[in-house]
Amino acid sequence: MGAAIGIPLTFLLILAFFITLSPQISAVSYPINVWPKPTAFSWPQPQITLLSPNFKIHFPLNPYLHQAANRYRNQFIKEHYNPLVVPHLNLTSSPPLKSLTITVTDDSAPLTHGVNESYTLTIPSPYQSTTATLTAETVWGAMRGLETFSQLIFGNPSRLACDLYIHDEPLFPHRGVMLDTSRNFYGVSDLQRLIRALSMNKLNVFHWHITDSQSFPLVLPSEPELAGKGAYGEEMKYSPEDVKRVVEFGMRYGVRVVPEIDMPAHTGSWALAYPDIVTCANMMWWPAGVDWTDHLAVEPGTGQLNPLSPNAYKVAKNVIHDVVCMFPDSYYHGGADEIAPNCWITDPEIQAFVAKNGTLSQLLEMFVDSTLRYIISLNRTVIYWEDVLLDASVNVSPSLLPPENVIFQTWNNGPSNTKKLTEAGYRVIVSSADYYYLDCGHGGWVGNDTRYDQPPGTDTGNGGSWCAPFKTWQTIYNYDITYGLNELAANLVLGGEVALWSEQADSTVLDSRIWPRASAMAEALWSGNRDATGRKRYAEATDRLNEWRNRMVTRGIAAEPIQPLWCIRNPGMCNTVHPFLAG
Amino acid sequence: MGNGIRSPISFLILLALLFPLTLQISAVNYPINVWPKPTTFSWPKPQIALLSPKFEIHFPSNPYLHGAAKRYSQLLIQEQYHPLVAPPLNLPDSPALQSLIITVTDKSAQLTHGVDESYTLVIPSPSQSTAAAISAQTIWGAMRGLETFSQLVYGKPSRVACDLYIYDEPLFPHRGVMLDTSRNFYGVADLLRLIKAMSMNKLNVLHWHITDSQSFPLVLPSEPELAEKGAYGEVMKYSPEDVKNVVEFGMEYGVRIVPEIDMPGHTASWAEAHPDIVACTNMFWWPAGADLSSRIAHEPATGQLNPLASNTYKVVQNIIKDVATMFPDSFFHGGADEVTTNCWKSDKSIQAFLAKNGTLSQLLEMFITSTLPYVISQNRTVVYWEDVLLDANVSVAASLLPQENVILQTWNNGPNNTKKLAQAGYRVIVSSAEFYYLDCGHGGWVGNDSRYNQPPGTDLGKGGSWCGPFKTWQTIYNYDITYGLNEDEAKLVIGGEVALWSEQADPTVMDPRIWPRASAMAETLWSGNRDETGMKRYAEATDRLNEWRNRMVTRGIGAEPIQPLWCIRNPGMCNTVQPYVPN
Repeated sequence: MGAAIGIPLTFLLILAFFITLSPQISAVSYPINVWPKPTAFSWPQPQITLLSPNFKIHFPLNPYLHQAANRYRNQFIKEHYNPLVVPHLNLTSSPPLKSLTITVTDDSAPLTHGVNESYTLTIPSPYQSTTATLTAETVWGAMRGLETFSQLIFGNPSRLACDLYIHDEPLFPHRGVMLDTSRNFYGVSDLQRLIRALSMNKLNVFHWHITDSQSFPLVLPSEPELAGKGAYGEEMKYSPEDVKRVVEFGMRYGVRVVPEIDMPAHTGSWALAYPDIVTCANMMWWPAGVDWTDHLAVEPGTGQLNPLSPNAYKVAKNVIHDVVCMFPDSYYHGGADEIAPNCWITDPEIQAFVAKNGTLSQLLEMFVDSTLRYIISLNRTVIYWEDVLLDASVNVSPSLLPPENVIFQTWNNGPSNTKKLTEAGYRVIVSSADYYYLDCGHGGWVGNDTRYDQPPGTDTGNGGSWCAPFKTWQTIYNYDITYGLNELAANLVLGGEVALWSEQADSTVLDSRIWPRASAMAEALWSGNRDATGRKRYAEATDRLNEWRNRMVTRGIAAEPIQPLWCIRNPGMCNTVHPFLAG
Repeated sequence: MGNGIRSPISFLILLALLFPLTLQISAVNYPINVWPKPTTFSWPKPQIALLSPKFEIHFPSNPYLHGAAKRYSQLLIQEQYHPLVAPPLNLPDSPALQSLIITVTDKSAQLTHGVDESYTLVIPSPSQSTAAAISAQTIWGAMRGLETFSQLVYGKPSRVACDLYIYDEPLFPHRGVMLDTSRNFYGVADLLRLIKAMSMNKLNVLHWHITDSQSFPLVLPSEPELAEKGAYGEVMKYSPEDVKNVVEFGMEYGVRIVPEIDMPGHTASWAEAHPDIVACTNMFWWPAGADLSSRIAHEPATGQLNPLASNTYKVVQNIIKDVATMFPDSFFHGGADEVTTNCWKSDKSIQAFLAKNGTLSQLLEMFITSTLPYVISQNRTVVYWEDVLLDANVSVAASLLPQENVILQTWNNGPNNTKKLAQAGYRVIVSSAEFYYLDCGHGGWVGNDSRYNQPPGTDLGKGGSWCGPFKTWQTIYNYDITYGLNEDEAKLVIGGEVALWSEQADPTVMDPRIWPRASAMAETLWSGNRDETGMKRYAEATDRLNEWRNRMVTRGIGAEPIQPLWCIRNPGMCNTVQPYVPN
């Protein structure tokens, strides 16, 4: 393997001429598949050929592409994936494929929102040529193509699909997974394994919900006490070096790392270092005898930054400053979800403010206005949870939230809120709890819960998880994140993120809670969830996902099984052919 | 460690005199706990002592106790468990605890149903004596005591709770986990890890649902074709040597292995080797346009043994003989659940039988009366699923199921069926799907399921899992398996088993699906789910289970978290204090 410069463009043109270009998604069932399914996959006469043990990748000079090419070259040679269903293809007596030549138009394009991820991959029949070609606009597109190439290889000795043409590009530029590392802690190796799996699925954003009321694991040079006192323990912290490793790892895998510091709510953990800037810390989250609307926090772990405390801004700005230094991505997530009115109202100073006809929305506006300006001054686009605009009791006027600087992430009310946000002119990231929350359906986790001590026969409904039921991979796969939007509004939907909140998750279940359900979103946001005729393709996707899940497992990602192995071995026999009956 | 002979009975009696004997379960909150909570745990003045690095276990000669003592003496020295909440106990200047002396009344008692598992553990204050003592009726009771001792040791250097007295014995003799290894395969290492975790939780029965319609992984010397053709693959089989390893490992950990060969339903996989003895094979499980009641199998993969085929009994007897040879336990599980009427009705010979006024129940009776006596002749007690007696369409007369030889395992209708079975005079094992099925609440798994492609806003109810919602650890903990029974009926309930059906499970998720929820049952069936006032103790159990789950994780069992770590660090603050409001 070495950096090559020659561009076999003429060869490409000849091949493109020979192979029928079908830009629509093919409904053809291929013996070898790629997840997410490529936009255009033309393989009219499926054939395979051996991969030379001396297989080489030629690529333009770029440090990240260099590392990716190295990694994939090793994988091509060593993976020897054993498919659940062996492709019915005989090895031709043709010479083995010897090399892959990568060409990149703009090898300096940074990994950022909207970067071109398209690529074209041509694997000729080795009778005609023993060199495959990958062309891409950017190194990030080239990485997507390398992943595709890797999934076309299987067996021992390694063989691969050939005589094919793929053109591929994503439907949505923002395709991510959100992980909460505050409720329970995850080590750096867990985060890296997550990034690796994201890359396999052509997902490109790791939204890192780093801090919350339960713990503050991020060590910040300007505010070391926050993690010093707020982390779960000495070995449950992310040092600046750890962050650097995660960010750098993301670059190598083409995955952006977007940090979230949730504030002003969800900040109970800040009170260990700064009791003066946090209201209602260390209180019972939902006191006995009070209505639900009077809770002090939506879940155990009370505490919100006090917008009337000057020191709150000093600390918040130090935090923002450090985070921006540590995370190069141009997106910064500011949280701003779930303000509990009663938490602020417990504070005497805020009581005085309210007594003088001040409102809690004014308090939030005060906080958001001051911190948002600062974040924007650091050249960051800010993502907030939708609450900051849509919360029924405490919210901020849109005039303070410039659409050119602010993106909203929706999680309530399914497509209705997506519509509200786009109609207000904002770009939107979709994380609808009805579809994309990976923690749902696991029951409640608060202690002393009498719901689970009812007489036998009591209807336990959906089981006590607020966002139940469990979101199956099909639920996720079938959701159209632009449902009900007109074209203009749909253009404002940047993409989506599945989210794993970690009250009932940690490294023991990280892989199986996320995979292969995040793979379902990955395909829906990359090439869609419909076939060439416009019909949802979840039935056809099932066997492909079984195979892909198995491949992820062999690659060290403990994705959960979606069916008995029997199903993929007996195509169609595990289906239902009965219509859905409501109720 | 060495073989000690000196019986410290007099020392034990002396200590027992010094401690106030409280036979009821204590609600006292101790800084160190044992899971499942012992029956009697007297520790009036909590103290700790160092564990000598040369700590020795003295025990009577017995190969299994020898293995256990060796294992535990390593664990005691090497584990150095770091508790989530450090016990607020200072190390005194007293000498280190030097040894543990085990005495066993009946060393030859076999590991079998109802074997005495009681033990007494005394750990003196080392200022008085440096030898702790376990006395038990059997070596199996001694193993339970060793596990208890291990949970009282923590920290680096190792220290141990002392100046305490424990008397312990289980409420129910049968405490198990059922694992289905047919829908998806588990390797021997997974089974061994399961047995290890069961032993940690003082569970004593691994009910191994080995075969089903999807695959037949068990290699049988008399019927090798069954696995050869019916297993998922060469690497997905259990050889006789594998079984021996599992059974022997169980003996070393005090866990019985009860094999289940499910028949006459759930036998499609047999048809690969013996198509002549299986009705309705390779049919579509629920044909288009047919009512649910007309389906051919409860789930994909059709096939039931044909009671009219003479070869059926030859194959079945070979299997029973081999299984009885390979598995020494006195229980044999014969399955007999979910006979589907339409499967049998699809068979020509059975159609002829029915035309002559035969009934399907007669067919099942024919099968049972032709196989049950053979199982009994192998000196086995037979466990059947309740269906054989209670199924509404196809069932067997109680007169053909002698109570002295047959135990029934209930899974439907919660306590109602337990009562029916006990009233009919049968011993019962409880695996109520409403409480003890670990796979529930994960959505449906059949393909092409339009339920997951409904317009946004459609009520998804329990999410499509037939036994949804998910069973939380509290649901499992709080279930009283003798609910609604009178004293005589309650005596027939020999215990319970949580069950993991594996349509959506395999080694990637085995640990978190089973643990710590099986731990919840383990405590309820060992010492109960109530405190000495008779109140359910689930609230108090929460922090103990958090700690125990963490210890299991450090021991290599990937048990899932039940709460944010914040909760155990802030006792009581994650509770709800609101009453249950029915939906």
